[in-house]
Amino acid sequence: MIEARGLTKRYGAKTAVDGVTFTVQPGQVTGFLGPNGAGKSTTMRMIVGLDRPTAGTVTVNGKPYAAHRRPLAEVGALLDAKAVHTGRSARNHLLAMAATHAIPTKRVDEVIELTGLRPVAGKRVGGFSLGMGQRLGIAAALLGDPRTLILDEPVNGLDPEGVLWVRNIARFLASEGRTVFLSSHLMSEVALTADHVLVIGKGRILADAPVSEIVDGAERKLVRVRSPQATELAELLKGQNAQVDDVEPGLIEVRGSNAVAVGELAASSKIVLHELTPVASTLEEAYMSLTADSVEYQSEDIAGHAGTQSDLEGSKA
Amino acid sequence: MSATVTAPRGPASGTTVGQTPVKNVSFWRVLRSEWIKLWTLRSTWWTLGPTVVVMVGFAFAMALVAQFIGDQMADAGPEAEAAGAGGMIPGTLVVAFGFETAALVVAVLGSMIITGEYSTGMIRSTFAAVPDRLTAFFAKATVLAGVTAVLTAVSLAIAWAVTYPILDANSSTVDFSDGTQVRQLGGVVLYVVLVALFSLGIGALLRHTAGAIFTVVALFFVVPTIFTGAAAFASDIDWVVWVTKLLPSVAGAQITPTAGAVPDALDPWVGISVLAGYTVLVLAGAATRLKLQDA
Repeated sequence: MIEARGLTKRYGAKTAVDGVTFTVQPGQVTGFLGPNGAGKSTTMRMIVGLDRPTAGTVTVNGKPYAAHRRPLAEVGALLDAKAVHTGRSARNHLLAMAATHAIPTKRVDEVIELTGLRPVAGKRVGGFSLGMGQRLGIAAALLGDPRTLILDEPVNGLDPEGVLWVRNIARFLASEGRTVFLSSHLMSEVALTADHVLVIGKGRILADAPVSEIVDGAERKLVRVRSPQATELAELLKGQNAQVDDVEPGLIEVRGSNAVAVGELAASSKIVLHELTPVASTLEEAYMSLTADSVEYQSEDIAGHAGTQSDLEGSKA
Repeated sequence: MSATVTAPRGPASGTTVGQTPVKNVSFWRVLRSEWIKLWTLRSTWWTLGPTVVVMVGFAFAMALVAQFIGDQMADAGPEAEAAGAGGMIPGTLVVAFGFETAALVVAVLGSMIITGEYSTGMIRSTFAAVPDRLTAFFAKATVLAGVTAVLTAVSLAIAWAVTYPILDANSSTVDFSDGTQVRQLGGVVLYVVLVALFSLGIGALLRHTAGAIFTVVALFFVVPTIFTGAAAFASDIDWVVWVTKLLPSVAGAQITPTAGAVPDALDPWVGISVLAGYTVLVLAGAATRLKLQDA
C-alpha cells in the first residue's frame, strides 16, 4: 500500500509534482499513466526516498520508506534501468545489493533465472541492451521478495516477449496480494496490465479510477450506422437529442444514444440498416481527453492529432 | 530463456510472499556489500595493482641510488665510508620513497568509489537498498580506509624485503628499534589512508570523476609544488611559509620519512592532525550534501 498526501516537488520555479494525493491498493496492478514530463518518475523517486518532497508526505506499508528496517522486503523498485554500475557484472550487482539485507545467494540465482538473465549474468552491465538492463532492474526489484513493487516504465526497451512477461509477472505479483504500481506513457499497456489507473498530467492527478471507469467516463461511446437512408435517420435521431456526425454519404456516427435505440428507431421508421456498430472508446482516447490540456510538448501541427483533441473537447462541452 | 516466454509457473516472484529470508539492514551488512562492490570492479585492480608496483619499484630504484652513493663514498676513502651512505639516504626514505605517487593512485580510487556510482546511476540502487545514506557512505569510507591501510603496509613490507640486501650492504637498513623510524613508516600508512578518505569526500561533494580527481591532484600535488618552491626562496614572507606548512600534503607528510623539506615545518603529530582535520571537514561536508540533496 502506498499513500501520498499532498506530495509536491518543485525544482526552482518549475513544479514537477503538484500536491498529489492518492492511495495505491494491494492486490491489484495500479497503472500510473501520463505523458513524458508529467511527474511520474519524480513521484516514484519520492516514494523510495531518493528525492526529498518539497511538501507533503508519502508512506509505503504505513511508514516512510526510510523508516523501514528491511526496505528491500517492503519495496522493490525499478526506477531506472541505468541505476547499475556499468563496470560490474549483473550477478555481482545483485550479490552486492543482496548483501545489505543478508539475502542468500540462492535468492540471487533465483531472480536471475526468473528474469531470464542467466546467459548474461556474468557479463558486465555496460554491454547490456536496454531490454537486458530492464530485466536486471526487475531482478533487483524482486530480490527482497517485496510486498510492494514500483516499476517505472518497465516495458521500455523490451521485445514483445519481454513485454508479455512483464505483464504476466505484474498481474501475478498482484494476485499474490502485493501492491504493484507501474508507470507508463502508453495507455494501451496500462489498459492491458492494470486494474486501476492514476492519470497524471503536469504534476496533478487527473483521474484515479478503475480502468473500465476511465474508458466509460470519457463519453466517447458512439454508434456507427451505415444506411442508404442515412440522412433521413440522422434527422430522426437529432429529434431525439442525439448528436450525429456525417462521416461520408451513407455513413453516420451517433453519440448520446446506443445501438438498441438506433436499431429500434430505424425499424419503426422502416429504415434499412447495412451496419449498426457500437464503438467503445479506447483507453487511448480517454487518456487523450484527460491529458489534452496538460501535455508538456503539444504537437499541434499534426493535423490528425489536433483533430482528435478538438473532437474530444467538443464532446465534453 | 523459455522462462521468459511462458506465463510464470508457480509463484511469479520465485517464492510466495515472505518466504525469502531477508534480514534488517545493518552497518556490517552494508560493509559487506561495499566490500563486494569494491572487488567486483576492474578499476579497483587497475588502481591498487599500480599502487604496489609504484611503492616497490620506487623503493628498489632508490636503493640502487643509495648503493651508487655508497660506492662513490667507498672510492672516496675509508673516512667518508665510515660516515656512511645511510646518513645520506635513510633506509625508511628508501623503503617509503614511492608513497606520494602511491597516494596519487589511491586518491583516484577514493574519488571513483563514489563518483563512479553517481556517473552510472548506481547510487540510486545503493540508496534504495540503504535509505540511511550515511550508513552507506561510512561503510564505503571504512572499506576504503581498511583496504588502503593494508595495501600500503603490504607494499612497504615488500619494498623493505626487496631493498634489504642492498641496504644491508650499505648498512642503512630500517632500524625497527628506533621509534622515529617506526613512526615514520606507520605515518606513511596513515598519510595514504587520509588521502584516500579526503578524495572520497571530494568525490561525494563534486559527484564527478574528472572534477574530483583534478581537485585532489591540484590540492595534493600541484599547489604544494608551487608553494614549496616559493617557500624555499621566500622564507622571509610569513604568509607563504604559513600557507605552505598548512597545505594538506605538506602538513601530513611531516610524520613520514620525507619530513622537513619546507621552512618551519610542523611537528609530525601536529601535521598529520592538520591533514586529518581537513579530511574530517571534507567528509562532514560530503555527508551533509548526501543527506540533504536528491540522489
